Amino acid sequence: MLCIGHNESALRFLSLFLATTLGTAAFAEKSIVNVWGLTPGPDSKGQEAVISAFERLNPDLKIKSTKMGAGDMNPQKLLTAIVGKVPPDVIAQDRFSLSDWASRGAFRPLDDLIARDRGKDPLCPVPEQYYAPAWKETQYDGKTYGIPSGADDRILYWNRTIFQRHAEELREAGLDPTRPPRTWSETLAYAKILTERDKRGNLVTAGFIPNWGNSWLYLFAFQMDASFMSADGTRCTLDSPQAETALQFMVDGYKILGGYDRAQQFQSGFLSNENDPFILGKVAMKIDGDWILSSLSRYGPDLDFGVGPPPVPDDRYYHRGAFADDKDTFVTWIGGYSYAIPTGAKNLDGAWRFIKFLASKEARLTEAKAQANYDRSRGREYVPRIQANREANLALLEQFSPKNPNFAAALAMHVKLADVGRIRPPTVVGQTLWSKHVEALEAACKLEKTPKQALLDSQAAVQRELDADLEYSHLKPFSFGPPTFGCCALGLGLLGWSVWSFRRKKLGRLARSEAFWAYLLISPWAIGFLVFTLGPMIASIFMSFTQYNVLSEPRAVGLGNYTDMFGADRESVLKAFGNVFYLTGIGVPLGIVTGLSVALLLNTSIRGIRFYRTVFYMPAIVPAIASAVLWSWVLSGDPNKGLINSLWQETITNWTHVAPPGWFQVADWSKPGLILMGVWGAGGGMILWLAGLKGVPGQLYEAAHIDGANAWQQFWKVTLPMLSPIVFFNCVTGLIGAIQIFDQVYVFMGPDTGLAGPSNSMLTPVVYLFQQAFRFFKLGYASALAWFVFIVILALTLLQFRLSKKWVYVEADK
Amino acid sequence: MKEGIHALAALMFWAGIVLGLRGLLLAARLIFKPPGMDRHATAVGLGWSMGLGGAGILIGEGLFPPHGLGIPVAWPALAVQVWLSVFCAIVALVTFFQAVSGSRESRRWLVPVLWAAASAGCWLLPRANPKPVEFLTGHIFMSPSSLGAVATLAVAAVTAISLASRSARAKGIVATVATQLGLLVGCVVFGLPFLFLLVTSFKEDQDMSSPHGIVWIPRVKQTAPVLDPESPYYEAPYKGMTVQADLEKANPDGTLTLRIAHPLYFGGFTFNVPKAQAKQIPRDMELVTAKLDGQDVEGVIFQKLPDGSQDVEILKPVSMKGQRHTFAPKTTAFVRPMSLRWKNYVEALEYLPPEADYGWVYLRNTLWLVVMNVLGTLVSCSLVAYAFARLRFPGRDVLFKIMLSTMMLPAAVTLLPQFLIFRSFGWIDSLKPMWVTAWFGSAFMVFMLRQFFEQVPYELEDAAKIDGCSYLRSLWSVMLPQVKPALAVIAIMTFMGAWNNFMGPLVYSSSPETLPISYAVQLFNGDRNTEPGLLMAFVTMSLVPVVALFAFAQRFFIEGASLSGFGGR
Repeated sequence: MLCIGHNESALRFLSLFLATTLGTAAFAEKSIVNVWGLTPGPDSKGQEAVISAFERLNPDLKIKSTKMGAGDMNPQKLLTAIVGKVPPDVIAQDRFSLSDWASRGAFRPLDDLIARDRGKDPLCPVPEQYYAPAWKETQYDGKTYGIPSGADDRILYWNRTIFQRHAEELREAGLDPTRPPRTWSETLAYAKILTERDKRGNLVTAGFIPNWGNSWLYLFAFQMDASFMSADGTRCTLDSPQAETALQFMVDGYKILGGYDRAQQFQSGFLSNENDPFILGKVAMKIDGDWILSSLSRYGPDLDFGVGPPPVPDDRYYHRGAFADDKDTFVTWIGGYSYAIPTGAKNLDGAWRFIKFLASKEARLTEAKAQANYDRSRGREYVPRIQANREANLALLEQFSPKNPNFAAALAMHVKLADVGRIRPPTVVGQTLWSKHVEALEAACKLEKTPKQALLDSQAAVQRELDADLEYSHLKPFSFGPPTFGCCALGLGLLGWSVWSFRRKKLGRLARSEAFWAYLLISPWAIGFLVFTLGPMIASIFMSFTQYNVLSEPRAVGLGNYTDMFGADRESVLKAFGNVFYLTGIGVPLGIVTGLSVALLLNTSIRGIRFYRTVFYMPAIVPAIASAVLWSWVLSGDPNKGLINSLWQETITNWTHVAPPGWFQVADWSKPGLILMGVWGAGGGMILWLAGLKGVPGQLYEAAHIDGANAWQQFWKVTLPMLSPIVFFNCVTGLIGAIQIFDQVYVFMGPDTGLAGPSNSMLTPVVYLFQQAFRFFKLGYASALAWFVFIVILALTLLQFRLSKKWVYVEADK
Repeated sequence: MKEGIHALAALMFWAGIVLGLRGLLLAARLIFKPPGMDRHATAVGLGWSMGLGGAGILIGEGLFPPHGLGIPVAWPALAVQVWLSVFCAIVALVTFFQAVSGSRESRRWLVPVLWAAASAGCWLLPRANPKPVEFLTGHIFMSPSSLGAVATLAVAAVTAISLASRSARAKGIVATVATQLGLLVGCVVFGLPFLFLLVTSFKEDQDMSSPHGIVWIPRVKQTAPVLDPESPYYEAPYKGMTVQADLEKANPDGTLTLRIAHPLYFGGFTFNVPKAQAKQIPRDMELVTAKLDGQDVEGVIFQKLPDGSQDVEILKPVSMKGQRHTFAPKTTAFVRPMSLRWKNYVEALEYLPPEADYGWVYLRNTLWLVVMNVLGTLVSCSLVAYAFARLRFPGRDVLFKIMLSTMMLPAAVTLLPQFLIFRSFGWIDSLKPMWVTAWFGSAFMVFMLRQFFEQVPYELEDAAKIDGCSYLRSLWSVMLPQVKPALAVIAIMTFMGAWNNFMGPLVYSSSPETLPISYAVQLFNGDRNTEPGLLMAFVTMSLVPVVALFAFAQRFFIEGASLSGFGGR
């Protein structure tokens, strides 16, 4: 704080001066700076200290930091906030996605502010202060869109205790148990020995889970010198042979664990804090960033762990083949956050002042000091985070280097490798590239596709996005003017015609007054229909012929969205509808059987009917979200935690050695999980069945009884045919409902992958539409999808009505 | 051999269970005396069943004592080929006996022979495992709690049977008992997730995951309030709230630096406060029990030493109160009686950001949405439905058909343009988009209400008209009172819709001040998904109002379900 003491007093003086001259208004009206993405809370004292230090220095500003809600950095929330003109003033944004957003005009370039304050304000951030890759990641199209905050690179963490436990075996295999693996083939050899299973074949300790921790495909691809984008940014090179080799390595890693699904299920039992699997020794090696150190120092201070550079391809390590001339033996992936100002921020001045302060060395030191004091007071060691600001980093390491040699070594390794960090390429399709890369990774690791095919498919999808973006500037702007005018003219014409035909009717005075009242009474619906239904419908049709991301103007693409839907993007659309048919094909009959059997049991004058009815009906009133949250625990893949799986483990596994399924963690079981959840709520359907059963005339049963029909025959020959309208009704509503499933699936959407369940296995049309609109900003395409959904629903309904005439029993006197 | 014995034991056990059940049934029959019952035969049957059943259970258990209490289970593990063979053999036997018992002319020997041949053929099919039969044996392990559950179920079943006595006389006791049992099992299946939710919301973290199956009976570490002069605990004002805090240090200027412990959202923040404003309060410390010179003592740990041993201040027995002893590592254990951890609920709310004011803001937002939606729907729908039901005007049928057809339109089509419309109103990050549309009627509700209005006799309204009532007046004082149940159904369906609305807040709410409960549950799930206790407590709290409403207005829920046909969903 010393070096800005001068500033502080100057500012104080200034504010005092302002306060005395302008009266008390200046203090009463503190201007608020809204900040998203900082995470104040029990474990980050530093943030709070920085904010109060800033507020002390700037008495005219108040920082409002939002965490839960929009502050948790959901891209959809940020988009709606920017579009809705209520953006935050400052946002902590992952650097790699800056370019994606910036290309759509979502962030304000900061160059003019930097140029203005450079040299005048000691706090002003300048590129020279930062590590080059970190600063480079904030650039897009020659402009600066954010100020880097942290710099996190990935290194290998390994558990010495587990290595020691297997020392003999490791030595026998010619591996050194006192050091971590350095190459990919070594990693696999170590992993094979360190992986432990119980007698049922379940994993107890995983040697190395390729994608647990934080490596994704990016890290391994970077090590192969692969970049996912060409240098000019016009071609996606996800399918390069180097990336394929990297993916093959991950596939091999999963094979050692018994497959991707096995590993996923094992991971579903992972908890955090003191039960972190690395601390508990459930994982022997992982690749992760420096953010885990604070948690390690808090919950596993005695853990005997070592670090090493992330293992690299053998050729790179031995400097042969393609890497003969490469001087970097080790390569890692570096990323981090940055502070950015969204377009339309209301308090630009406050935002910039806050960012300048946040990014400064002083703020970093204030933060570290507060956090270190706090951690020491709790008997924990403070481990500073790596900063993108070089000076701040050096000062931090000098003052706050951890005493525990393990932690000191880890920190030193992180700093050392920051120099060989590679960044994700800035691109306008960052979000798509990320999601598609995850898809390819999962498909290959699950052995659904070969690595080559998986990468090719994802590359094609990203390339399509890229081409569409490049094409955008050549497209004709689409103006909503003429269609709006046309619609208004048409509407006026219709109105005129109706008025004319109304007058021609020559109604009497009373009839006229009645009609007047009627129009007045239905006017709420009529206005609502025009404004909230018909208008949006027409707008939606026109939008479906455009490329539109809300932030920039729509451009006409003709039928492009529709051809995409049935052409290039066919796979996803088919998957979404395929899932719907899976869910209805199994879920609706199951629901009908459940509802009907409960109703049959209840359709007698039985004691306690009110109680039973209440219990069976209750699940139906539970909101879908609450139900999904509850069921994610009921169906937890871990047999020690999940209700169903613990019962499964005790019975089925005990007798038949069939391991419990992974439910929502595994692609093959996520839909059955969803169905089970639905069946739980299907008890509510019994009310309908009960009403139907009460409606079956008693004389039919009497007649059947006289004819000698037993109860079973009565059910099939009398009850069921009489109930067929309800069966039919259930089928239609079930199908329509399944197409529109959204809430339940949203709970299972990966926060960072954006996939609906593992490998998108729970994708439904409406979820897909929502993803397209609010995650990838393709409102035009989403509108086209919406219309397709509508047409499918319409067609299904009509078809069902047509078919129903053939087999639904209709009472003769109706 | 061992497996064979085990299978036999299992067989005897289950036979004992079946006989025991038969005995229970006979007992019920003796109590309720259905018409045409032979008292003597029943009593004798009861004796035999109970005796044999008890013996079967005892022998089954006794032959193969499991570790602890368990039910023996055996299941022949056969290859598919063997199953096929067994199936064919059974069919062959059945057809053979049919042939034997039938008349001489209609005897067809070929059928059983063919089935037998098929059975043999299947048996001879190549198998991976040459051993034909393998018994998978094991025990359904019965923990005391699950035994308790079974006992409770049995008691409930017997109670249900005795309650069902009246209908039992008319219908036959077997049918009644079967129905009741079926319903009870159904209740358990449907109620189990609720039970899981409730129990989990009261559990401590260490009980969340257990290799011995789900922990159904929560245990909570017992605490005792202790005033500890060495690490004092304070209550002090901070930013307008009262917080509980630990002492970080006492400053020379007479102030104290405190570190917040509660509310949890601020946990760990430090602040300075004048000594006079901070009030020392006792801290709830966890009780441990240990053995001291062969005597059980209880106390609190006031210091953990670096080597893992603990300094304990003894509270019980009273004679030793205040003494301090050092115990070696792992010689003390927490006192954990069966109890409910209510703190999960408090902590769940304490974790919410201060803007949420312990969740009141979410509740307020949701209530506002519910009230505005219900009011809006009721008002607009009654007006529109009345016009469509009772007033004649040109274009009525066309407009009504248009309205009906909008029911088929999925919300997804209008989602995006509606978003743009509300954006142009500047309504993003407000609650308005989620209730304003309700004031413009809903096609389905109008349709339903119109059906009800049409059933109101015209005479009533005509009488009102003769008295000079306007349309609104007759709607208000004649028509609406006639359709009160329908209005209640509409109100409840709208209530549920508004309470559960998720997509709305997902698109329109950004700041904590505009979050309703439904979205807050999802965010809480993302935020604290490693703490199931707090999560389940939060979910339970979000359900309480809905369940309460359901308890009070069950009739309308059920009417609504049968009217709408959506089963409430």
